[in-house]
Amino acid sequence: MIESLALALGAALAVACVLLAARPFLREPGSASDRLREPGPLERERVRVEEERDRALGALKELEFDHRTGKVSDADYRDAAGPLRRQAADALSRLDGMMRPTMSMPPEEPRVPEPWPPPDEGDLPDPAPTPAPGEPTPGPNDPGSPQHPPMPQTGGPRTL
Amino acid sequence: MALLGRAALIVALGLLAYAALAGALAAFRGRRRLAESARNALVAALGATAVASLVLLGALAAKDFTFTYVAEHTSRELPLGYTLAAFWSGQEGSLLLWLLILLGLGVSAVFLNGRLTRDVLPWVVPILAGVATFFAVLLVFVATPFATQAAPLDGLGLNPSLQNPYMLAHPPLLYLGYVGLTVPFAFAMAALASRRTDERWIVATRRWTLAAWAFLGIAILVGAKWAYEEVGWGGWYAWDPVENAALMPWLVATAFLHSVMVQEKKDMLRVWNAILVAGAFVLSLFGTFLTRSGILSSIHSFTQSSIGPWFLGFITLVIAASTALILWRLPLLRSRTRLESLVSREAAFLYNNLFLVAFALTILWGVLYPIISEALRGVTVTVGAPYYEFFAIAFGLPIVLLMGLGPLIAWRRASLRALGTSVLWPAAAALVTGAVLLSLGAGSSPAGLIGYTFAAFVLAAIVHEFARGTRARRATGSATWPRAFTSLVGRNRRRYGGYVVHAAIVLLLIGAIGIGGFSSSRETRLEPGESVTVAGYTLTLLGSDQRRAANSQELRARLAVERDGERLGTISPGKNRYFAEEQTSNEVAIRSDPLRGEDLFVIADQFRGQTVFLQVIVNPLVNLIWLAGLVFLAGSLVTLWPDAREQQRLARRFAERDSALARA
Repeated sequence: MIESLALALGAALAVACVLLAARPFLREPGSASDRLREPGPLERERVRVEEERDRALGALKELEFDHRTGKVSDADYRDAAGPLRRQAADALSRLDGMMRPTMSMPPEEPRVPEPWPPPDEGDLPDPAPTPAPGEPTPGPNDPGSPQHPPMPQTGGPRTL
Repeated sequence: MALLGRAALIVALGLLAYAALAGALAAFRGRRRLAESARNALVAALGATAVASLVLLGALAAKDFTFTYVAEHTSRELPLGYTLAAFWSGQEGSLLLWLLILLGLGVSAVFLNGRLTRDVLPWVVPILAGVATFFAVLLVFVATPFATQAAPLDGLGLNPSLQNPYMLAHPPLLYLGYVGLTVPFAFAMAALASRRTDERWIVATRRWTLAAWAFLGIAILVGAKWAYEEVGWGGWYAWDPVENAALMPWLVATAFLHSVMVQEKKDMLRVWNAILVAGAFVLSLFGTFLTRSGILSSIHSFTQSSIGPWFLGFITLVIAASTALILWRLPLLRSRTRLESLVSREAAFLYNNLFLVAFALTILWGVLYPIISEALRGVTVTVGAPYYEFFAIAFGLPIVLLMGLGPLIAWRRASLRALGTSVLWPAAAALVTGAVLLSLGAGSSPAGLIGYTFAAFVLAAIVHEFARGTRARRATGSATWPRAFTSLVGRNRRRYGGYVVHAAIVLLLIGAIGIGGFSSSRETRLEPGESVTVAGYTLTLLGSDQRRAANSQELRARLAVERDGERLGTISPGKNRYFAEEQTSNEVAIRSDPLRGEDLFVIADQFRGQTVFLQVIVNPLVNLIWLAGLVFLAGSLVTLWPDAREQQRLARRFAERDSALARA
């Protein structure tokens, strides 16, 4: 009796499992679109550039924080921030370029990135003016300077 | 009901074989419905395995001795908790637990990461199913837990050394760690197979890797606590091959968790990370092989079995396949950036990786050498603790030093001046600690003194990091210090949770040095009324007692304990004689002092009439090892806690991608 019950339960289990596995074919017996989505070269490139953008923005954020805590000197901060901002701006520019052909919006200038992720309200003080080329950047401990290094100029919210 | 269990396992095997083959075909040919069908088969296999597990649990709970497995691992008098824990006490049950956890984690990972790794998933499913198929084959053809027999009057019982509360938790935690490493392996290999070697597989599997690593770490410590209390030689880690088998994948996974940050932030070490993921998984299989094959003489080798060759074949297959895949995709894995400076956070991570992997490899050699020696020369050799301890010091001390230095160094490049400023206070704290300890006589163990000095450096560096991070957050608008602190940790959980884990490792180091370098021990024979004094503790034998427990006869020596003239109560070391198992086990007595962190550890080696042969050990600071486990757990939870900001970033990226796809 118990053996018969076990056999019946085993058979029911097998049938249920097979039905579950076969469900995609039962639900769409003659599907015309049976291809897995294959990202094209453009999408792969965009993923790569998005990662570059996020990496550069993340590195900028980290650099800001390390500078604030004194882990990065003013000179090191100046040396590192510029290339990172250029990398981020370059990635944003390329992303804009990739999306433009498929968008009906008018082209716009690439924006210099704000620190990412955007600071919460009250997270960072108002940005200080960007120094002119050659002018030394005030450090966190310079007298009269704000408690943070100059922030990159923002162009409003990012619209990617 | 054994028939139902067997049927469920056969169904699971069929589904898994289908998921592996059909899934690979679907991924290769780009067939959507076939890929979905393979994924559903994986889910169905989980259901079938759950049914098989319930059948076994039901048989254990009912003590149905017609199940050979139940009869061999339980007895009528075995308490219910240990009876249910017999699920993972034997080889067949352990393999079933492996399969159940693997499918549970695998299916969860597939569904939870569906959106992020949509392009990779068609390959993830067959890889997970392929690994699971191996275990299902073992369970159906080699080591079935559903073999039946004419029911004996009583079972053989459970190995007495497994009748310990920590053994209820250790194996499942260990398997969650071992099996959890399958998830990052499957995603990494799927990313290579599908040529999607971007950051997504790392983001998708980060928490799975962290969780598996945390489970493995906790399991190692719970196992150490079990060994300390149950095996009863007075130590906590014996460099036993099976203990080492769990430590190796943990070390490699630790290296991966650090180096993967370098890939995320700098797009470097891609090949290295793929190797580490594969290495950690292979080592987790190797650990299961060592535990279950009976190839090595070990306190953990509870069975001699025939599954060894199967495991060896599968491990060889996994190594060959992952090596081939990494080599095949090597052009895609080339880094686009280079190390900018040898004094940078990423360089510190690289050094720490080299030491961690070197340590794991020396342990591997220590484990393999006796096997190779016996196979090639027919000579039985043992690699003892001195070998491992030498390398633990040689590689461990630099790792600890880097644990302190790494957080103080900035990413990309750090000037020596900025580094000097950061290091100043932690280094001063370390030097003062070292000098004080030296003046207190800690120089009797030079390695211990250096270890404590480095430990002080790491702890000071962690406190320094938290302090200046909190100060920076306070300066940027946080209203109060507590809010600044929580905001600091909340915004970078991985970093600050990681620091808490570092603190746990330091606590463990302090405890390990305490027990290894500064413990006191004495062997003696006492008649009733006689006393022995060790490290300030005086023990007086009051007498011996016997009593009958649920499934054993207990023999105990009663000892009064005093320290500096103060009575601390009595302790009762002794022996248990288990009826069904017909085995005797040592039951040590431990008196912990939480304030001092030390243990009085007493073993009753022999009873002859009223005479008791004792070993009395005082282990200073040993309780910090167990405290380290709690701190490790807390740090791991902080790192694992979901980060709303990251979720927002990913959601934004998906929205960008989906809208671009919709336009295309």
